[in-house]
Amino acid sequence: MAQQVIKVIKSSWVLGAIATLTIILFGGWSGTVIGWLLGTGAGFMACQGKRIPSPKVGARIGANAGLILGIWLFVASLLEGLVIRPLSGQSSLGLFQILPSGILALLVSTLAGGVIGSLQALPSPRRQQATLVTLAFILIIFPFVDQVAQTSWVATAIEILIYVILALGLNITVGYAGLLDLGYAAFFAIGAYTTGLLSSSQLNIAWNFWVVLPIAAVVAAIAGVILGAPTLRLRGDYLAIVTLGFGEIVPVIFRNLTEVRIDEPISKMFGSLFGHPEWGICLLGCDRPLNLTNGEAGINPIGRPSLPFVGTFESSNYLPWYYLILALVVFSYFMIDRLRDSRLGRSWAAIREDELAASAMGINLVKSKLLAFAMGATFSGFGGAFYAAYISAIFPTVFDFSVSVIILCMVILGGLGNMTGVILGGIIIMAADRLYLPQLAKVLKGFLSTSVLPNIPNPQLQDFIATSLDPTQMRLFLFGLTLVIMMIVRPEGLVPDATHQAELHGEGVSDQSLADARSQ
Amino acid sequence: MALLEARQLTMRFGGLTAVKQVDFAIEKGMIASLIGPNGAGKTTFFNMLTGIYVPTSGLLRLDNRDITGARPDKLTSLGIARTFQNIRLFNNMTVLENVLVGRHCRLQTGLVGALFRPPAVTQEERKARQKGLSLLDFVGLGASKAQELAKNLSYGDQRRLEIARALASDPKILLLDEPTAGMNPNETADLTRFIHRIRDELDLSILLIEHDMKVVMEISDRVSVMEYGSKIAEGTPTEVRANPRVIEAYLGKEDAEESINS
Repeated sequence: MAQQVIKVIKSSWVLGAIATLTIILFGGWSGTVIGWLLGTGAGFMACQGKRIPSPKVGARIGANAGLILGIWLFVASLLEGLVIRPLSGQSSLGLFQILPSGILALLVSTLAGGVIGSLQALPSPRRQQATLVTLAFILIIFPFVDQVAQTSWVATAIEILIYVILALGLNITVGYAGLLDLGYAAFFAIGAYTTGLLSSSQLNIAWNFWVVLPIAAVVAAIAGVILGAPTLRLRGDYLAIVTLGFGEIVPVIFRNLTEVRIDEPISKMFGSLFGHPEWGICLLGCDRPLNLTNGEAGINPIGRPSLPFVGTFESSNYLPWYYLILALVVFSYFMIDRLRDSRLGRSWAAIREDELAASAMGINLVKSKLLAFAMGATFSGFGGAFYAAYISAIFPTVFDFSVSVIILCMVILGGLGNMTGVILGGIIIMAADRLYLPQLAKVLKGFLSTSVLPNIPNPQLQDFIATSLDPTQMRLFLFGLTLVIMMIVRPEGLVPDATHQAELHGEGVSDQSLADARSQ
Repeated sequence: MALLEARQLTMRFGGLTAVKQVDFAIEKGMIASLIGPNGAGKTTFFNMLTGIYVPTSGLLRLDNRDITGARPDKLTSLGIARTFQNIRLFNNMTVLENVLVGRHCRLQTGLVGALFRPPAVTQEERKARQKGLSLLDFVGLGASKAQELAKNLSYGDQRRLEIARALASDPKILLLDEPTAGMNPNETADLTRFIHRIRDELDLSILLIEHDMKVVMEISDRVSVMEYGSKIAEGTPTEVRANPRVIEAYLGKEDAEESINS
């Protein structure tokens, strides 16, 4: 019996721990929401790699997995209501206030597992379709469930999805073509600033968001080509340094484009040569220098999208934003999937594997690499345009190096080259960063001030503990720690791509570049 | 008329002249061999023919068209395909994908086509797959191995896949860099027959670098011998075998005298 319990706990501890953490931190009805989401996941995973003969069997397997998760949830909600709340200074709840949410979480989790499990009994192509439909259904009704359960996670979900688009885009450059890009935030910035300039009072241009969105993507793609061109002969570390530089340059440019004046160069040169500066023909910003980006203060406000029936998207109403970014993610996913499974995707994979052989097999390295950079940048252009309209203000400081690193972390954590993995990586990192850490900080603060600090006599020690135990300030440390552990335990990422896994665990590929050979 | 022609081709790496003013020509439908001791400059010569090195001086012509210094991918689309001495497959791609990469320059799909997949693109992709499978069949790998990862193939199969990948680009001339290296006598005999078959059935010219004299003498229409970067002899296998300079290059001077004396 005891052994069985340990076995069950072992098999479900990852999802169980996430569920427990959620309930302990958020309390209330969050258990039901997370039970719904993770129960579906648990039911799906339980049926993976198995042949399910009938819906009944599938439902039983799925419901079993959901039930185990539900027990975690139930225990966690008891723990939260009876222990954590009083300890962290919130009002304690009676058993009858806790039980309904705990039992509901248990039921929902079991049910969700059973539903997805029964769908896995369908024959192969229908099975994937049914899973996709379930996933779509969950994503579509998520905001309503979120509203009913009063968890207010939608705002974070929007931010998560923005980063998911960015991670998907970076995955093209790094995961498919194997070109390490450390300055990816630059394209995000370019997409955002393009939107900012074309739909704000800064230049007195107020174009419709739906027009600006593709323009931002195209501008970002062109920037991708501009970055790509000088890096064509570089590989590995050298490429990373150049992209790093690009990522540093772009925000600085946006910060300093406050007094733009462009003169026609030849006439100006002659003018200064002969001592007649007035000969110079001025092209732009002649009366007074043009303030393009408003420097540190940023561009604010930026026009918002609007649709018939919905009207202009308001910052107070998250629903249209959520569906817009969701649509963009789905669109990007399908486009990238098609790219990967095409002549172009194959050429990227070949370049990643062996540049010289790829070239000898007729692949134009210049075109393919530039295309990889351009495509990667395109999707971050989408992300940037949405971000600018959503926040309605952009500042150069938002796009610093740490953004590039975080997006790269998502790609690597999730699994280089695997889109499902990359999406998962994005969700995990952003949810941890924007949802769990702040909430943890809040709960921890309440816990410290009610249960720990009053018991410490030394006021200096009190002060030290109160200020140093702040998880939000430790986020980069926690991040780094996760990555280090991840790279040791599972370097291929959470959901590894088959070929990348093989690369990491097989012998290295020879990588003499064509440029090196030809320049001899 | 020569299909591929090299005139006074020279390659210098710093102070070292790897290939010295080599004239070479290969006609349509011919199997030509390039032999010579290790370090004679054979592979360097190959790399110049396929655009991996840019010749220091000299001229390369394909079908009377100047191709000196063209990029490898350009040469491939013009009809020069090659294999490598140390097998360079795309190890973590499947066998079929390897062949499809070889087919790359004969496919048209661009960005828009890949994104929106009009019927023409689906059609082209399906045809490419069919062509790939039939090529795998031709080289003796068969459809059963098409979905395996290339690195999981046996050594002999990897050599065959490399040839299939090269053939996928519909070449006019196929360059094989030591195709029998590391093979046992049985596999070597198989491959020799197979090279004949390629020439006869696909109607192309083949140039190979080879160390196995038995293979060279058996299949070549013409043999060229290189030593220290220069071409020292050329002719039919029988002529080359009898050429004293070749014997000297391979066996050394004294040995050559001894073998004559004895």
